[in-house]
Amino acid sequence: MEISRIPRVTRRRFLKETGLTLGAAGVAPLISAPFVSSALADTKTLTIVQWSHFVPEYDKWFDDFTKDWGSKNKIEVTVDHIPVANVAARAAAEASAGSGHDLFGWNGAGGAHLYRKFLVDVTSLVESVEKKYGKVSVIGRQIGYNQDDKTWSAFPDFYINFPSMYRKSMWDEIGMKPDTWDNVRIGGAKLKAKGHPIGISLGHSNDPNTTWRGLLWSFGGALQDAEAKSIVLNSKETVEAVKFVAALYNEAMSPEVLSWDDSSNNRYLVAGIGSLIVNPISAYRTYQKANKKGADDTFVMEPPKGPARRIMGGASEFYGIWKFAKNKEGAIEFLKYYADHWPEAFKASEGYNNPCFANLVPKPMPILSNDPTSTPNDKLAVLQNSDEWSASPGYPGPSWPAVDEVYNDFVICDMMAKAATGAMTAEESVKWATQQAEAIFKKWHGKT
Amino acid sequence: MAVIAEPVTKPVSRLHFMLDRREVLENILIAPAIIYVLLLVGLPLLLAMYYSVSAYTIYNPTWQFVGLANFTQIIDNPNFLQTLGNTFIFTFGSQLLGLVLGKFGAFLLLRPFPGRKIVRALIILPFAVPVALATIAWQWMFDSLYSVINWTLIAASIVTREDAPNWLGNPYLAMLCVIIINAWRFFPFAIVIFLAGITAIPQDIIDAATVDGAGFWRRNYQIILPMILPIVAIGLIFGIVFTFTDLSIVFLLTMGGPVGATSVLGFAGFQTGIVSGDVSHGAAISLFMLPVLLVVVIITLRFIRRREI
Repeated sequence: MEISRIPRVTRRRFLKETGLTLGAAGVAPLISAPFVSSALADTKTLTIVQWSHFVPEYDKWFDDFTKDWGSKNKIEVTVDHIPVANVAARAAAEASAGSGHDLFGWNGAGGAHLYRKFLVDVTSLVESVEKKYGKVSVIGRQIGYNQDDKTWSAFPDFYINFPSMYRKSMWDEIGMKPDTWDNVRIGGAKLKAKGHPIGISLGHSNDPNTTWRGLLWSFGGALQDAEAKSIVLNSKETVEAVKFVAALYNEAMSPEVLSWDDSSNNRYLVAGIGSLIVNPISAYRTYQKANKKGADDTFVMEPPKGPARRIMGGASEFYGIWKFAKNKEGAIEFLKYYADHWPEAFKASEGYNNPCFANLVPKPMPILSNDPTSTPNDKLAVLQNSDEWSASPGYPGPSWPAVDEVYNDFVICDMMAKAATGAMTAEESVKWATQQAEAIFKKWHGKT
Repeated sequence: MAVIAEPVTKPVSRLHFMLDRREVLENILIAPAIIYVLLLVGLPLLLAMYYSVSAYTIYNPTWQFVGLANFTQIIDNPNFLQTLGNTFIFTFGSQLLGLVLGKFGAFLLLRPFPGRKIVRALIILPFAVPVALATIAWQWMFDSLYSVINWTLIAASIVTREDAPNWLGNPYLAMLCVIIINAWRFFPFAIVIFLAGITAIPQDIIDAATVDGAGFWRRNYQIILPMILPIVAIGLIFGIVFTFTDLSIVFLLTMGGPVGATSVLGFAGFQTGIVSGDVSHGAAISLFMLPVLLVVVIITLRFIRRREI
């Protein structure tokens, strides 16, 4: 009688059989690779990554738009939306790995100039769009354009403006309009006494970085000169601006602004507490959805005028095509098509995305000139000319890696906050910020 | 005469012979782990070391050697010293708080009570929840407008809205907040460590001490704690290493604010090296962690060796 026995698993046998299995598993992809890759080659793809838009409907429109373009051109398009805070790390990872998406959408500071050596020159694309739709605005030119060799590293998509939003009934009650920074301070102090302070963040995020730069410029101060050669921060104008912010903070704001992130001022307005914020219109759109009555009482106006000029920071958005992209031609073709349909993007963003090319959305612009959801309908009309008062972080010069690092280290915000909280005098605070900026500029001047 | 055939022995191949040797087999089996550590830990560490003495940036990926210039520039910046100080406060503050909470938790969970098993399972949740989700939940609790803590304090008439704590806006409170969140994440781990240590102590030692008249505090501080100190020290090494290198809580909660009060080395290295693209300076900032952690680990391990009984 044959007795079946379970064969004994020896150490040697275990190693032998495991090795064979692993070997087979390793070889399988190699054998099948030629067949799989030829199958993949028949399907063209285009991969895009960009930040999750603050207006969710825009992302939905963009996904449908790309899918439609893909089906017309027999290209499978994939769009990945990532949180805005992850954009920088994602770009660094893709550049380091030399692999990733074909088209990369940057938000705000950084990107196009920092990754210049990794990006396809899109000068001819930008020039062709300029021919069709007019010149690129100042804010559109500040990040993607390389002054030294007159080339474009990235395609300017849109910019986000930062207008003022104020509660009309509150300001009417004190008989004032927040059209100048002085009026914001004086009126803000009165409204703070009534429980409605001004709400401008002094924390570490994009909004204060943008807003306080705007205030600095409106007082005649700036971080660097127009050629980006030297730092001009330590000036009488900057000291005046910092003194003003200290007064504004102490008279018209509450200490909670020191802890705020980018959405805090929106909530402050929607909660019915804040009497004025400086923010993209996403705050107003949120308010409309949350409380129509409160939103109707919220008016949008140009940013307050300072002693020198009316100007405010803005955030530019750019598309870069990696040199290692698998479908560079597809990416360029997509951007051409996208530019030709840009007014649709404008509408989908509910007027949040502002055009970088002069005639991309002819005036009167849809939505902004006549917004059926707003009372009155022309409430947002003032935003049609926001390119006249919007600038990127490097203003009056271009943005470049040193300007970005000053931005990412929150030097300008902290300069304002140190004086506002009394940790330093305005003069000391400006001196501190200048030292910080000088160290960063010196470092980058040796590296660029 | 019957001839008994000699058994034919198959010639043993050299490979089989090698595999039969215990020390060879041990090396073969441990090799994947060593290769893994070398490739995914050792190599990046060496790379970071070289980055820190180079001029490498994302803008200009050059390997040009610059010596210790990056380190000198970093040390010259007064902000860096503040960041270094913050890192120590954050690390040791949260470890201390975590250990105290862990000790209390372990003692509570040693006592029998209905539903103890469920509580033991639930207590591990802070350790298991992804840091991003946990920090966002805490962010709402410390929010300037919708803080449930402040709401409770105001509802109980302890403070007014004007006097309510500005959790993330006051430099000291903001540091306390990041410490609390990290301690909250760490304390389940501390409970597990303490529970493992305490339950491993032979009951007869405790009983003997009790018979000799030792009360709760004496048993706790003169018998239990000294006996479990080696295992607690190992847990502490883990806690210190993970906290000293952590950037997630600060990145998600304060971004180093207000006015740099919560900026820690991991966060500063990330902002400079990745967000701003200055990889060499980012690597140099991060490498400041290495000697500190090395010293902490060596001291703790020496301490454990001396305490071993």
